[in-house]
Amino acid sequence: MAGLLAIGLLLAASMVIGVRGVRATRSTTPDFLVASRRIAPGLNAMAIAGEYVSAASVLGLAGLMLKYGIGSLWYAVGFTAGYVAVAALVAGPMRRSGAYTVPDFADYRLGSALIRRLCAVIVLVIMWLYLVPQFKGAGVVLHLVSGAPYWVGVVLAGLVVSVSIAAGGMRSATYVQGFHYLVKLLFIAVPAVFLVVHAGADARASALRMDLTDWGRPLLDVEDSGQPLLATWSLLLATTLGAVGLPHVIMRFHTSATARTARRVAVGVIVLLGLFYLFPAVYGLLGRVFTPWLVEGGDTDTVTVALPGAIVSGTWGSVLTAIVAAGAFAAFLSTSSGLLMALAGGLSHDLFRAGVPRLRMAVAGGALVAVLLSLPAQQVDINVAVGWAFAVAASTFCPLLVLGIWWRGLTAAGAAAGLVVGVCAATGAALASVLTEPEAGWLVVLLAQPAAWTVPLAFLVMICVSLPGRPPQWAESAVLRLHVPG
Amino acid sequence: MLDRMRARRGGESADVRLTARVLAAIQDLDADLRDGLAGRGAQSAARRLRRLLAAEAVVLADLDGRQVAAAGPPPEPAELRAVLDQTYEYGSPAHRPPWSAEPLVVAGELSGALVVRGAEGELAPLAALVARSLDHAALRRARSRIAQADLRTLRAQISPHFLHNALAVIGARIRTDPDRARTLLNDFADYLRYSFSAQGDYATVADELQAVQTYLELQRARFDDRMELTVRMAPEVLPVAIPFLVVQPLVENAVRHGLEPKPGPGAISVSGFAEGPLCVIEIEDDGVGMDPGFARSVLAGKGPPAKRVGLANVDQRLRAVYGPEYGLVIETAPGSGTKVQVRVPRFMRGVRAN
Repeated sequence: MAGLLAIGLLLAASMVIGVRGVRATRSTTPDFLVASRRIAPGLNAMAIAGEYVSAASVLGLAGLMLKYGIGSLWYAVGFTAGYVAVAALVAGPMRRSGAYTVPDFADYRLGSALIRRLCAVIVLVIMWLYLVPQFKGAGVVLHLVSGAPYWVGVVLAGLVVSVSIAAGGMRSATYVQGFHYLVKLLFIAVPAVFLVVHAGADARASALRMDLTDWGRPLLDVEDSGQPLLATWSLLLATTLGAVGLPHVIMRFHTSATARTARRVAVGVIVLLGLFYLFPAVYGLLGRVFTPWLVEGGDTDTVTVALPGAIVSGTWGSVLTAIVAAGAFAAFLSTSSGLLMALAGGLSHDLFRAGVPRLRMAVAGGALVAVLLSLPAQQVDINVAVGWAFAVAASTFCPLLVLGIWWRGLTAAGAAAGLVVGVCAATGAALASVLTEPEAGWLVVLLAQPAAWTVPLAFLVMICVSLPGRPPQWAESAVLRLHVPG
Repeated sequence: MLDRMRARRGGESADVRLTARVLAAIQDLDADLRDGLAGRGAQSAARRLRRLLAAEAVVLADLDGRQVAAAGPPPEPAELRAVLDQTYEYGSPAHRPPWSAEPLVVAGELSGALVVRGAEGELAPLAALVARSLDHAALRRARSRIAQADLRTLRAQISPHFLHNALAVIGARIRTDPDRARTLLNDFADYLRYSFSAQGDYATVADELQAVQTYLELQRARFDDRMELTVRMAPEVLPVAIPFLVVQPLVENAVRHGLEPKPGPGAISVSGFAEGPLCVIEIEDDGVGMDPGFARSVLAGKGPPAKRVGLANVDQRLRAVYGPEYGLVIETAPGSGTKVQVRVPRFMRGVRAN
């Protein structure tokens, strides 16, 4: 009951900030514009981190750690390191291009309506792959705090997100996302510190006792494939380069006044993410001592919410559970609304250009599909599914953006070929790894973590198809404008 | 009987198909010639004409006797000059076997010639068609020149009324409140610079709002601060590029036609936010409002000239840049204020602030 109450309070607070907060820059003084142009890079970075830290980070990371061992922390490394690539390769030029989304950028750089539509389709694929684990996380959390069946939680989560977007969340609000980062950090960090103190010296010692061969091995082994090094590299490639291509992340950099501050914001995000990812690790370590039974029978993704009850009993236990549940729900809410908005924007603006875009319908439709896809996905690990979304982004939009920004010779035909090959290879591999059960070995890794071969493949196809063709005459000036300071 | 009907219908549908083909060919020709004889499509227009005439060769020539585009084996320069000289001298068709030339008369003015070899059909109607396409191209260019001239008018159209009022207000405060007078004078200078600045067609929302702000500060001083002014902007939309002078005329309109006729205090609010891929800017006043039908006629360009320039011009320019579905939206009723909404895509190819 306490959990539901906490989630309700969180929803109400988000609504209030969503409706009032956008309008917080209310002023009757002439200084207003100067102030709002200087929107602090810190707040901006908080908003990006708030949108980025999803159920995958709050629930999935600790769950995967419990299941596969310390090596799962490479996910956190990749999620954070992605912003190094973003800051170095795309943040500044994207800000200068004036493009808000990847389809916009493709239109700017290659001037082809077809590529624009192709990109919009890939946006849908990535967003749905990313939304499914979010909805799964919400369903699991609601199931834990209220006892309702999984499907009720998922449907309810879909309704909550759609309604909250329709009621004011449409205005992708910097303040709401920033608020959600704080909620997530506090609601995960404070209970974590409390639990560490409360667990006692013995438990702490046994949590930190590691054997370097199995659980404590610092490499990630996917489904016991026996190829931990390859799997780790592939994962790092997917998460690092995937962050470059995530459609909903890129548009956030436009809040910065200049390309320089855009880069500074990216650095701020790295700091904030690094701080946040300390805490899922705490839950993973403690979970191994207090809730090992989750590995056998239960859903490891629930460890973050189940842990407080297992360590502290009585009223305090349920209060802590409620706080953690609210934090997890904040993760779900902020990420899903950002994702749904990007999805709906692509659906209404890029794919169906006729008439004034019907955003609300597109939001409802996108949420419906995501809910339907999530219902049978209870057995899929949150982080694994998010990893696929990153892998698809890394093998489609990352090559498009990187080559588009840094290479004049890219042609529309080359980009289209690379995008099609990338999206087919990455989603195909992910589907194959869900539907089939290949024997252990490198094939398992290449299907479950496809980035190692799909990313180079997409780059290669884009370059090879572009080379014989002739780039349009204005390509030179279009690329130049991306790099001229100002 | 049945056979005959079927035969007739078959004949009819063949006719219909032929008509459709011809119409499509005419449309394509028009599209090819959209930039005039000197444009990029001239070559493809020549090829299309050759197919339509089933001719051996088709040449488009301009008034200087230069060959602009050719399909099929081109004539010797001497041959071409001879046949062109004959056409241009009399402004009538000329034949110098195997070549024949037809003058292209655009809006009553000789502007080129269509030179053909071995054509099966009549040359004159096709030459008339080409001339009409060229005429369309000229009209299209004229239309964009008019739009630019309208924008210049709008920039130059700071009413003498406003200039006088602003200076009078500043003058009145020089002794009593020198600091405020100084700020106002700076605002005034900024406002003038922005309105007269000649560079570029697009500005960022932030720049446009700055101009609005300075304008409103001056108006507020005139109203003795009886006007309440609220600006609410989500930071996401500040760097968005929009056509130059879109927000400012709307605000000016709200002040002049909404608040000025209204006795007592008034309030005006400008707000902007992102709605997915769109940027929405709303200008709301609690002034006298107007009849919705009247607002419609103003947007259609039929209102009294004083109002027409601002609203209709902004509406037209928005539609010209972003497409017909992105015009102004006006919500109003007599006595209950006016709300004008601008709703444009945040990114549009070619729209870029300087």
